[in-house]
Amino acid sequence: MDSLLLASFAEAAVRLGVPLALAALGETLSERTGVINIGLEGSIIAGALGGALGALAWGSAGPGIVAGAAAGLFVALIFAVFAIALNTDQIITGTAITLGGLGFTGVIYQAQFGTTGTALSLPTLEALPIPGLSAIPIVGPAFFAQAPTAYLAYALAPALWWLLYRTEWGLELRAAGEEPDAAAAAGVRVRTLRFITTLFAGALAGIAGAHLALAHTGTFSEGMSAGRGFIAIAVVVLGRWNPPLVLVAALFFGAASALQFFLQTLGWQIGYQLFLALPYVLTLAALAGWLGRARAPAALAQSWPRLHD
Amino acid sequence: MNRLLGLISAPIALIFTLVVAAGALTLGGYDPGAAFGALVEGALGSPRALASVTLVRMVPLLLTGLAVALAFRAGLWNIGAEGQLYAGAAMAVWLGLNAGALPSWVALPGVLAGAALGGALWALIPALLRLRLGVGEVITTLLMNFVALNLAGWLVHGPLQESRGVFPQTDPIVEAARLPLLVSGTRLHGGLLLGLALAAVLFVVLRYSAIGFATRAVGASPQAAASAGRIASGRILLGVFLVSGAMAGLAGGVEITGVTFALYENLSPGHGYTAIAVALLAGLHPLAVVVTSFVFAVLEAGASAMQRSAGVPAAWVNGVQALVILSVLAVDQVLRRAWLGRRGEADG
Amino acid sequence: MAEPFAVELDGIAKRFGRVQALRQATLRVRHGEVHAVLGENGAGKTTLLSILSGLITPDQGRLSVQGRETRLASPRDAWSVGVGMVHQHFALIPRLSVLENLMLGRRSRAGGWGLDRDATRQAAKQLADETGLAVPLDTPVEELGVGERQRVEIVRVLLRDPQILVLDEPTAVLAPAEVSQLFGLLRRFADEGRAVVMVAHKLDEVLAVGDRFTVLRRGETVLEGAARSDVDASTLAQAMLGGAGIALPASGRGTSRSEMTEPVATLSGVTVAPERGSAGLDQVTLQIRRGEVVGVAGVEGNGQHELALILAGRRSADRGEVQAPQVCGYIAEDRATLGLISEFSITENLALRLREMPQFRRGPWLRWNRLRARARQALQEFSIRAPGPRTPVSALSGGNQQRVVVARELHGDPPLIVAENPTRGLDVAAAGFVLSALRERAEAGAGVVLFSTDLDEVLTHADRVVVLVRGRLSEVPPEECTRDGVGRRMLAEGDA
Repeated sequence: MDSLLLASFAEAAVRLGVPLALAALGETLSERTGVINIGLEGSIIAGALGGALGALAWGSAGPGIVAGAAAGLFVALIFAVFAIALNTDQIITGTAITLGGLGFTGVIYQAQFGTTGTALSLPTLEALPIPGLSAIPIVGPAFFAQAPTAYLAYALAPALWWLLYRTEWGLELRAAGEEPDAAAAAGVRVRTLRFITTLFAGALAGIAGAHLALAHTGTFSEGMSAGRGFIAIAVVVLGRWNPPLVLVAALFFGAASALQFFLQTLGWQIGYQLFLALPYVLTLAALAGWLGRARAPAALAQSWPRLHD
Repeated sequence: MNRLLGLISAPIALIFTLVVAAGALTLGGYDPGAAFGALVEGALGSPRALASVTLVRMVPLLLTGLAVALAFRAGLWNIGAEGQLYAGAAMAVWLGLNAGALPSWVALPGVLAGAALGGALWALIPALLRLRLGVGEVITTLLMNFVALNLAGWLVHGPLQESRGVFPQTDPIVEAARLPLLVSGTRLHGGLLLGLALAAVLFVVLRYSAIGFATRAVGASPQAAASAGRIASGRILLGVFLVSGAMAGLAGGVEITGVTFALYENLSPGHGYTAIAVALLAGLHPLAVVVTSFVFAVLEAGASAMQRSAGVPAAWVNGVQALVILSVLAVDQVLRRAWLGRRGEADG
Repeated sequence: MAEPFAVELDGIAKRFGRVQALRQATLRVRHGEVHAVLGENGAGKTTLLSILSGLITPDQGRLSVQGRETRLASPRDAWSVGVGMVHQHFALIPRLSVLENLMLGRRSRAGGWGLDRDATRQAAKQLADETGLAVPLDTPVEELGVGERQRVEIVRVLLRDPQILVLDEPTAVLAPAEVSQLFGLLRRFADEGRAVVMVAHKLDEVLAVGDRFTVLRRGETVLEGAARSDVDASTLAQAMLGGAGIALPASGRGTSRSEMTEPVATLSGVTVAPERGSAGLDQVTLQIRRGEVVGVAGVEGNGQHELALILAGRRSADRGEVQAPQVCGYIAEDRATLGLISEFSITENLALRLREMPQFRRGPWLRWNRLRARARQALQEFSIRAPGPRTPVSALSGGNQQRVVVARELHGDPPLIVAENPTRGLDVAAAGFVLSALRERAEAGAGVVLFSTDLDEVLTHADRVVVLVRGRLSEVPPEECTRDGVGRRMLAEGDA
């Protein structure tokens, strides 16, 4: 294959994988404490809108990213209040948050910018090549000439791994997601941990959304998150709730997406959707135990403390 | 979920939602009265609107709502109605394109049965993963949605693409495989009757039949069902999974045979997910699903009218749906705590 | 005494819904002693300990630790005043390794950010050297057997250096050698000037290691802080079981009648592997005949539940032969979770069992009219106080709920009836009703198996008494069917 094509494919794969990685890494942490946030999609779209508004208000992309994080965190806060503090069912609450996120962002967008249909033009988050590393053939431009949010993702993967496996907080997190009763008996503050990690995941998802708006497309459009919140949940599973593997899984999904465009360029008119479906099939296989055991945290999606009828 | 609480909390939640929604609209500078007026007008204002827009919109919500309600009633979190719908639609299209010269009374039931089968098969994989390997169905049904979406995309770009080869959609299915219109001159098709009939059947089966009772028992307490009732929850759950998938698949088939006559991407604007709100608001009760699917159809059908007349963005409807779910959940929790507070926790 | 108590619980009351778990519980533990808390199931021991370890808060009463009155709102609070509890159903995380479980809750020097594996490893090794409690540090807990898990749990607590060690039934799953090891440890711990509070059942063990004893019965302290020199097995048993130690012969029906009737259920060599919280069954051979009431006595956790499930056809044995009738009435112990579906009506709860019977079915349909009629009948027959057959059972009192269960399980005159602690949580009238209903069925020719941890109940209502200890079943000869005789078998490490 033409090395130029390979290089640009690699670059696209990484670029498409970054927002997934950010959302999935945050979600990994919250799922480790036993919270599955299907409302992540809501955080992403909120982050996209927040990023757009923030960038326009301050005139540059950087503040946009921060605004996006705040928006994503806010949406996650609503989820957390219901699903953790009020102990409502996590699945249903998450579905509501996603619906609400899509709905309200659409409303706010149209209220601010009308329904004319012309696309917003936003200040972009420029790529930031790392000197030296970005010069490595193929790999360099793909991994090290990305927007700074990509580097955040690279840094988070080992950092979160270290947090989970090498610190007491991480031990408590893992304990809370496996056996919250036992963890609580050992003095772990289960609900507080769940709350914090969920907010953290929301903030990261918000950054992912802001990245979409400011680094990827340069504009905002309703529903532009395009299901990435749900995909992030699949990424977490494929990555076996282990941050470095989650990063790899996210890039894998990004590659599958990028493949779509490249097969089209190569003249493959059909069939590329099958490649799009492949990551999901592999995730299912992982759950079924065919690619080694992917075991979810035992208390995932369980409300805690349990209310007895 | 306690059934009694479910029936009480819905009206309370609905009122709460309306209040919050009205408040938010006012804050946003819109006139809530005008907005709701435009919405209702757009959805119900004229017979044409009612027949060709609202009721047509109601059918897939009704069918997927029933599918989700049944699953949730048995304690099964089927989030995959969307994918099952597409699987059913794909099956329906394929059969509908190859029906040849079959007469209508063979072709149409055949196509719809095929759609149900498609949906059931789509639910089979998550069902087996849950029942044989203990894998939670939430994530698996969600994943199957994406696979279905992508497969549908492949089909309409590839093997099933229209003969012209221009758009990513299939050829229209044969006339014989199409649902008859209920009211000529409108788009209202027989699928509505099918949906209503299914709602009635589901209600009767759940309430009066032995297997319906067993299903309810498993959903309420699998342990008591096994211990006191000697009910094998595995077989019940498998059955529920398949029937739920079949109904969602049927929703897809009905859309194909009644509305679009062809498959294309974005056939469903998320009916499978809206169905969760529909089912929940109905307290998982089949007959109530008829009402709530109508309510949501009004919301969705009136959305564009609301945008045109009152300037409120159509996306607002999603927000209201979200508020509905959250209100139901919150009211439910509050009522549950009050109820338990009087009775105390289980024996320690 | 000038020196403050290590632990003082005074006038503790705690209610769960309708059940008054503790009403006037008192416990006073001194430094340097091993204090044993005794009582039957339902006496309130675990509740008292849960209060002491911060898991729940009392409705009334005072709690003082080291002389200072405190309120423990969480396990964290308990640890902060030096109280560490070893739970009966261990507070371990199965998927984590032993080492990780040991580290949980310990604050290392670096606070939350550090994770001192080496320090913990060292500490564990040191503890192992001192006490002989060695645990495989790098194995996931889920791969360990029950005895090993308990050792991990004990080590976990000890590593956090508690001043007051609280143990809930620590010897339930230990082999005799492990038990003496544990007791040596407890002795040393107390000798260092700390305190040990231990809940236990087995009198021989408790007498071997305890310095002072407190006995709870029906939520109240009936014997407080008695010294070792003042008690023996007999006095403790009497305190636990209530009443004077008069020998109460089994009701005079004897075994003559049952010898002449046919067997209803037969078990030979039935074995069930032990699992969490239960000893399983070990080569159980038992025959239930028509017309007799067989009482199964024994402390909870010795295999009763497994035996009941096998007799009632709800589970199969790992080994051995089981012959039991297909149609059987089963009154499960856990009424709330297993016996009834609380949101269902009385009729629907009856339908759980009646649905299979031909007179209540028409093909795939249930005949709800008949079921409702039957329910109305049952309301009368069994004196169930309820507005009507459509009432959800959650609205009924415990006694009435149990009447619904009895009505359901006794319907159709099943040849075998299995009842697990059927009078638990019931008032005297309801309890009496249930027991006489069972007796009535037996007189009509059914075989009844009555599992009960209440010795009085077994002795009064059974024709024959068998005892389950650690999964092994032994028949009690008629002359030993006294409170003393059976009680000792129940509470001690008996031989088959």
